Amino acid sequence: MDSAPILPSPTLACHDCDALYTAPAVAEGEKIICARCGARLFARWPNALQRATALVCASAWFFVLANIFPFLSLQAEYRESGMVLGGTVSGLEEHGFPLLGALVGVFMLGAPTLIIGGLLYVLVPLFHHRRLPGAGRLYRAILEARRWNMVEVYLLGVLVSLLKLGKLATLSLGTSFWAFVGLIVCLTAALSAIDHRELWSKMEGASR
Amino acid sequence: MTASKTAFDPASAAARGLALCHFCAQVQPVAHAHCARCHAALHLRKPHSLQRTLALTLGAMLLYLPANLLPVLNVESSVKGNQQNTILSGVIQFWQDGDYPVALIIFTASIVIPIAKIISILILCRAAQTGRRPSAMTRLHRITDFVGRWSMVDVFVVAILVGVVQLGTVMTVTPGGGAFAFAAVVILTMLAAHSFDPRLIWDAAARRLNTASHRNRPDGAA
Repeated sequence: MDSAPILPSPTLACHDCDALYTAPAVAEGEKIICARCGARLFARWPNALQRATALVCASAWFFVLANIFPFLSLQAEYRESGMVLGGTVSGLEEHGFPLLGALVGVFMLGAPTLIIGGLLYVLVPLFHHRRLPGAGRLYRAILEARRWNMVEVYLLGVLVSLLKLGKLATLSLGTSFWAFVGLIVCLTAALSAIDHRELWSKMEGASR
Repeated sequence: MTASKTAFDPASAAARGLALCHFCAQVQPVAHAHCARCHAALHLRKPHSLQRTLALTLGAMLLYLPANLLPVLNVESSVKGNQQNTILSGVIQFWQDGDYPVALIIFTASIVIPIAKIISILILCRAAQTGRRPSAMTRLHRITDFVGRWSMVDVFVVAILVGVVQLGTVMTVTPGGGAFAFAAVVILTMLAAHSFDPRLIWDAAARRLNTASHRNRPDGAA
């Protein structure tokens, strides 16, 4: 993208304390902090759009890998049982907790799917200065879904489970586990590279 | 003293009738009702913020009891017999087994964070009325909002154990009702932290300054 300073919008208001500012020009690599409460108002990464799109593509690839290969396998007394990523959800459903299974599914599968798929739909056309139908509404849904995306919390859960079971059985990590780690790194980096003020102004400038 | 209860902080966008779009951060007159850029509904402050926050927190407090009293995990093992683990007994077990780091992680995520979250949301609701120490309270809100999701780790542990341990006669692991109640506590506190509007603290702080300056004005001074 061009490296000329852009105006995020004519005025800025802090989302935490509602202090009103006239927006300064923000160059790439700069960020604006609220003078009163310290909230981060605007951050512009160098080549934010390219960076975010590349990272989202990588996340999508890792997410597919994480879902097709075995995630964990467990050996005890000549028995072996394996689990794919989706097994976390189906196990709860089988044992009479379908609602809890669905919630876990939303947190570790649904939210990342919506975020990755949605960002691809929103970001890629922007390279051609285009905006696909429903992109605005979809991006609003992505902003909501970010809070419910708990892939990193799930990873901590995996590590705790490993230690919990380590004494009873031999656990081995599958390919999917490492893909999942890659997903977390790329998705976190992608989400922090996108500043939603900048993205909205780019979407506003794009033709439909 | 003329400051009404609904007065906004004079330094704020709201005092000028300007609303910050919750989704795209565009600042525009609240009279427009909907954001010109992303069509989201515009509000000066989150609607019914305090009522919503308090209701969700109350729900979380009520569910906190079954979450801790009911087992989160039932383990039936032909070797070790049947076991019912609550959140706390799970922590104690890790501690006794010498897994101190894991015991601390679970203790922090499942016991300390939910309680600290409920307490800090109540403190924030109070601060939205008194307006004391707005900067510190805003920071408290930011931390509360950020940290909440990590409490979900225990629910994921249960889900993973149930998913991976299917060793037939050797061991069966089934989820318990406590896991459901605990997940509900985490979700309710997350929603509560999100429905709280930290800008209310700054409005209250401005009202406080306003009344203080009225009170300190020397009446009889020439």
